[in-house]
Amino acid sequence: MDDILRVENVTKRFADHTALDNVSLAIPRRSVYGLLGPNGAGKSTLIRIINRITAPDSGKVYLNGREIAPEDVYKIGYLPEERGLYKQMKVGEQAIYFAQLKGLSRREATDRLRTWFKRFGIEYWWDKKVSELSKGMAQKVQFIVTVLHEPELLIFDEPFSGFDPINANLLKDEILRLRDQGATVIFSTHNMASVEEICDHITLINQSRNILTGPLEQIREQHGTNIFEVTFRGDRERLKQALGERYAVLESHEPEEEALSPNKIKITPREDGNVRDLVSLINDNVEIRSFARIIPSMNDIFIKAVAGQL
Amino acid sequence: MGKIGLIARREFNERVRKKSFIITTILMPLFFVGIMVLMVWIMTRQSDTVREIAVVDRSGMIAPRLTNEGTIKYLPSDRSFEELRDEGTSDGLFGILVIGENIMDDPRVQLYTYESSTVTIEESITSQIRKIVEDEKLKTYNIDNLDQILRDVDTPISIQTKEITSSGETRDSSSVLSMAAAYIFGILIYMFVFMYGNMVMQGVIEEKSNKVLEVMVSSVRPFQLMMGKIIGIATVAITQLLIWVVFIALVGGAAINYFAGDAIDAAAAMNMAEGGMPVNVDPDAIDQAALLSRLTDMRYLLTMTLSFIVYFIGGYLLYAAMFAAVGSAVDNEKDTQNLQLPITIPLILAFIVMISAMQDPHSQMAVWFSMIPFTSPIIMMARIPYGVPSWEIALSIGLLYATFIGMVWLAGKVYRVGIFMYGKKPTFAELFKWIRYKY
Repeated sequence: MDDILRVENVTKRFADHTALDNVSLAIPRRSVYGLLGPNGAGKSTLIRIINRITAPDSGKVYLNGREIAPEDVYKIGYLPEERGLYKQMKVGEQAIYFAQLKGLSRREATDRLRTWFKRFGIEYWWDKKVSELSKGMAQKVQFIVTVLHEPELLIFDEPFSGFDPINANLLKDEILRLRDQGATVIFSTHNMASVEEICDHITLINQSRNILTGPLEQIREQHGTNIFEVTFRGDRERLKQALGERYAVLESHEPEEEALSPNKIKITPREDGNVRDLVSLINDNVEIRSFARIIPSMNDIFIKAVAGQL
Repeated sequence: MGKIGLIARREFNERVRKKSFIITTILMPLFFVGIMVLMVWIMTRQSDTVREIAVVDRSGMIAPRLTNEGTIKYLPSDRSFEELRDEGTSDGLFGILVIGENIMDDPRVQLYTYESSTVTIEESITSQIRKIVEDEKLKTYNIDNLDQILRDVDTPISIQTKEITSSGETRDSSSVLSMAAAYIFGILIYMFVFMYGNMVMQGVIEEKSNKVLEVMVSSVRPFQLMMGKIIGIATVAITQLLIWVVFIALVGGAAINYFAGDAIDAAAAMNMAEGGMPVNVDPDAIDQAALLSRLTDMRYLLTMTLSFIVYFIGGYLLYAAMFAAVGSAVDNEKDTQNLQLPITIPLILAFIVMISAMQDPHSQMAVWFSMIPFTSPIIMMARIPYGVPSWEIALSIGLLYATFIGMVWLAGKVYRVGIFMYGKKPTFAELFKWIRYKY
């Protein structure tokens, strides 16, 4: 898989602080790439550099293997975190205006907009003023404006903020559909649940540095704990006894939880053991209904990484 | 269409469709007419409080011949000054005029007033007494038919000024008209630069606080954004001006026809009869005719309109760039006051200098300030009605537009940094630092 975008050793300093310190990353084509990090980590600065809104002090950005150039803005669609539309302008007219600034002709913009408005079921918004729309509605319009010129690279900064779950789902499906059609999506967020749902790759930026990068599944595997969760039918005590010295049973801190689900147990090997042995041991004593290794959520990884515990 | 064009077109469309645009476009001329009517009314209004002045005339020659002038009434009195004074203001007197016995040889009179006297009253008194004394003195020469002669001699003079142009032709000039034109054009430029410059600033602040800029800058360069806005609002201004010009031409034309038909005929006659003053025309009508012949002189009107447009656009562009830079640096309008100072000070200074330039359009100060780009649009517009050498105009326009280009370049640098600065109120030192930022 080739990389659509490469950021190499980018550093950006402002008067009183360093926003990015020697950050490098490569974004595979047709991926959904999560750009994570706490507030003020430097994500927005990095996105602005990719968008050529500001220039780095040192380092380079390559799009399709060539250093990024002014006309590349047409290949990028950018949905900033701060949504902005002219409040007094009508929705349709405004969308056409932004599309024209992105290089579409008026007719083409109108045709595409009609299609998108139909898909989102918002045709009747066309002649409304933006000030008449709710925040979520305005964001839908803004999303359409961002993707309308069919750029190969899409950059979404916190795209789900302000959306109800139904619309967030709609948006998620659209993002995945755009990826399937060939677009690459950079996706900046602190919402880890959405990262797990749609990102293929992530980079975690903290304190101006890239501290964690790679395919999502790989990262979760790497930071996987050695804890297994088993649900079973059978005698809990007998199972505990059978596990004996080699495995530790993690007792829940809350007794009610155990009472509620007496047939669920968390096990971790005391020494390196192989999973097969564990499964057959359990299988000999109880009837296994499910067996799973607990993979940490992105949320846990994020918090640990930021706290410097990885 | 380029991006600047697209942005300018949006600015134009949005602003021209606004209700506020339509309302100001209609109301402004009415407002102006109202102001002018008010000014004329104030200037021509005579104070309506009657001022009664008791005249104690020891010579007995003057008092009977004083005539009431406007609201000033002379009441010859046969009582003494002391009696009158002791009675005080109970009669509602404004004052007491005392004329000595020997007024012919000692031409001094005293005016005692209960409140401070005015120039008008003093002039009325001195001029009337002077005339009476003159007449009396003439009488002592025993000239026959003196009354007849005196009536004959009394001639009101009407002055008709002609200007010799560089090509040696003469044309009517009217200093009243020049002054009025200087004043009106100077004020118009001042107002419009302020008004439309402010519009640019508010537009930038609105885009910044709406976060529209964040969306825009990914597809447009900040400089294009700024220029698009400035040019777009300039087209709005020009549209509005044209509407007003048409409106004023129609209404003014109709009014002149209605009120001053005779004077127009006289003016036409004057324009026809090269140099000669038509006889059989009332001198007042000639004054008006001189004014009107200037007003109906197409070349004069065209020069004025053209230079107004050139100076308005130049001045607007220069100041709009500065207004845009200030707008980009702040989060809301409240924070603009400090930063606006360097914009408003030259404008206000220009306005002050304009008043003196109107009186002496070729003074050194007026000439210099009509060259300095920050004041030249206002000062030069105030000078042009009096006639200014073309090289001066050319130089001043050249300087103005060159400075505009430099200013746009600087403002663009501030703008580029400013639009991403949130949350703090910048100082001048910071604005200058932004200019040097490398992007």
